[in-house]
Amino acid sequence: MTLPLPFSRPPADERVTYSADEILTTDPGLEPLIANGVRCHGGFDPTGTYRSPRILHRAPAIRAWQGRLAAEGASLVTISRELLPPQYPNVAQAKLLLQGGVREPIVRALTMIAIVEGFGAIIRDVRVPDLRALVREPIDGTALAHLERGLFEAHARDEAGHRSEGGHKQMWEAARDLALENPRVPPDVLMRVMGGGGRPSERRRSFPQLDETLEGMLSTMANVLVIEVFAAGTFDWGDRLLSDPEVSAEPERAGAMVRCIRGDETPHVEYLRTALSEIRARTLITVAGGTIPGRSVVDALLHRTLGVLTTSRPKEQRAETRASVAEAMKRAGSPGRLLEEFDALETPLAPPTRTGFEPSSGAAGHAA
Amino acid sequence: MKLATRLRRSARIARAGVTLWLIYKVPDYLRRALGLPTPARRERTHERAARVMLRTALDLRGVVIKVCQVMATRSDVFPPAFVGVLKQLHDAVPPQPFERIGAAVERELGKPLHAVFSEFERVPLASASLAQVHRARLRDGRAVAVKVQYPDIEEIVRTDLENIRRGCQIYERLDPQPLELLPLLMELTSHLALELDFRREADSADRVREIFRDDPTVVVPKIHREWSTSRVLTMELVDGIKVTDLDALRRAGLDPSDVVQELMRIFVRMILAAGFFQADPHPGNLFVRPNRQIVLMDFGLSKELPEGFGLGLFELMFSMMTLNEAAMIRAFRELGFATKTGDPAPFLEIARRMMRRSDTGRFEGEFTEEMTDELFEAVRENPVVKVPSDFVLVGRAFSLLSGIAHTLGHRANVLAAMGART
Repeated sequence: MTLPLPFSRPPADERVTYSADEILTTDPGLEPLIANGVRCHGGFDPTGTYRSPRILHRAPAIRAWQGRLAAEGASLVTISRELLPPQYPNVAQAKLLLQGGVREPIVRALTMIAIVEGFGAIIRDVRVPDLRALVREPIDGTALAHLERGLFEAHARDEAGHRSEGGHKQMWEAARDLALENPRVPPDVLMRVMGGGGRPSERRRSFPQLDETLEGMLSTMANVLVIEVFAAGTFDWGDRLLSDPEVSAEPERAGAMVRCIRGDETPHVEYLRTALSEIRARTLITVAGGTIPGRSVVDALLHRTLGVLTTSRPKEQRAETRASVAEAMKRAGSPGRLLEEFDALETPLAPPTRTGFEPSSGAAGHAA
Repeated sequence: MKLATRLRRSARIARAGVTLWLIYKVPDYLRRALGLPTPARRERTHERAARVMLRTALDLRGVVIKVCQVMATRSDVFPPAFVGVLKQLHDAVPPQPFERIGAAVERELGKPLHAVFSEFERVPLASASLAQVHRARLRDGRAVAVKVQYPDIEEIVRTDLENIRRGCQIYERLDPQPLELLPLLMELTSHLALELDFRREADSADRVREIFRDDPTVVVPKIHREWSTSRVLTMELVDGIKVTDLDALRRAGLDPSDVVQELMRIFVRMILAAGFFQADPHPGNLFVRPNRQIVLMDFGLSKELPEGFGLGLFELMFSMMTLNEAAMIRAFRELGFATKTGDPAPFLEIARRMMRRSDTGRFEGEFTEEMTDELFEAVRENPVVKVPSDFVLVGRAFSLLSGIAHTLGHRANVLAAMGART
């Protein structure tokens, strides 16, 4: 993965310690981003360039932590974009639906993206253990030391919005409403977001020898990192679809909104991969007082998450989405051939045979 | 119902009405006569008035208990001291003698008890304002719970509602700044009509069971329709631990925090996602089984929410959690909140008050008891705001759930309940 600016290589003398307030600070003097009447976070600098929120110190901080990691000879974990499952429905299928008057599945999909982005706020509830007691090597001046000192909170605020500023939830809603002219939201959207029945399955412990809170935190971070990386596919899809004047009422503004969100996600991917790489380069202390290489823990957690998100999950999602598309076509009185055309445009799902984080591989994906 | 009984009930209600009037007005007249200032808070007066209501309810039972129970849930209208006293009525309804109940079952089913049941316990499992529940066994051996409407309750409801309506009309004419009680009474009248039809309750139970058809962790007792009528409801007997029995939960190896989170997930799914919910989640209606299944009981007060309500409520909760004032105001409007003058300022005031509250405690991601109570209190102190009745019922349900969470010593994370995962 190529790191976009401002995350390129740092000078060696950059600061590595920040306060939470600094991590949460947005550039001053930005012209506010107003989307479909809703004030959103971030804004435009005097050159008219969009600046993400809360990156005044967060961006150089991440750059410095990555520089430090490189100076220590450690690599950054990288999830290959080749692992991304193809979007379903893809852009051609989505266009076919919109042009065929079957808008409901696309409105539902965009609304679900917005809600799930908003749910990202739950990262502020992740419990962070006393890492200094659970990691053998020092963690001062690392991303790890800043997870509770602003990084999780900044991530939560970016996703769900904070106070008077909308976040990605509101920005996706604005993009949807601009492009599709304030469509009626299907009433079943929350039922679909909440998914099938039953209480959420309990997290399976892979490393019972580790402190449970530590394993929980690392597992969540691995999950969120994979989701954030895979979101690139959603951004491509959203940008191309909502920027298309054949189906979008406001192609420029709606597409620009998706690109703003995409830019905001960069710090999320970068701090998560930095912190996980820091763990990977260190040694974890077990409950019994023994040790375990951080690398084996991080790689196993990423391998497990990638395994689910590249194989079973996309299959289930395809089946559910196709069923709802077929229902929506029926309700809209579409001719039977529309579903055939829809199926013919599908991008085949080809689950990868390897994740790059196989426990025996000895390699952490691809070193950046 | 005999004329004498009807007159006695009318007289008792009239006496309570006059006593309430005197409790509030005599001190006002005296203060004015002596030139004394009006006190800012009148907690003791409210408490005395509530005790008069409580005594009247326990004496007359039936609909008067129901009225008081409803008042105890309306912290947006009535002062906290009033609500605090009347809350007692949720757990303190004495049962009726078995002879009357047994005869009512036989009349409804058209058969002697022994022709339908091989066992029928004389002491009820529970008694409420309109009905009581007995444990029994069908002749084929299946254990059941039989909910029996009190004889004459329909006529009592009619008479009492009429008396209360007249009392409210007189009060609104005499008081220069009356509380708007008649709309509340109309709401109660419509709820009572629904609650008195047990066939509807059976339909509601089936509907909630359908919402959780793919969820083996939620149990809704099956209804035996062949032994049910509009006044008798025979249902599968499902055992479980009362949701607030902390010791029993722990003895069964259950984690109270897990129970709290599960309850929130179940009600969030009904209210926000399905748009149909059991609107009376007090502890007597919720049980936990040792295998962690949650049992939902009593669907007399179930409610269908209008389309879009769930999304509107989701937005309100979300905006509260993210402290977004503008989004809160939008959500209030989408949910049907209105101001009598059309002026949006009261919404702004309520939103700011919620924001201030959140500054003093953790409010992000967690659903708190204070969230509902504070909202209702803010609304009560801004009488210019009209609250949609659907919201009141939903707010009450969340408030009851929060009360359970408080008893169990845990709080629910509402984002996690909606499906967000850490």
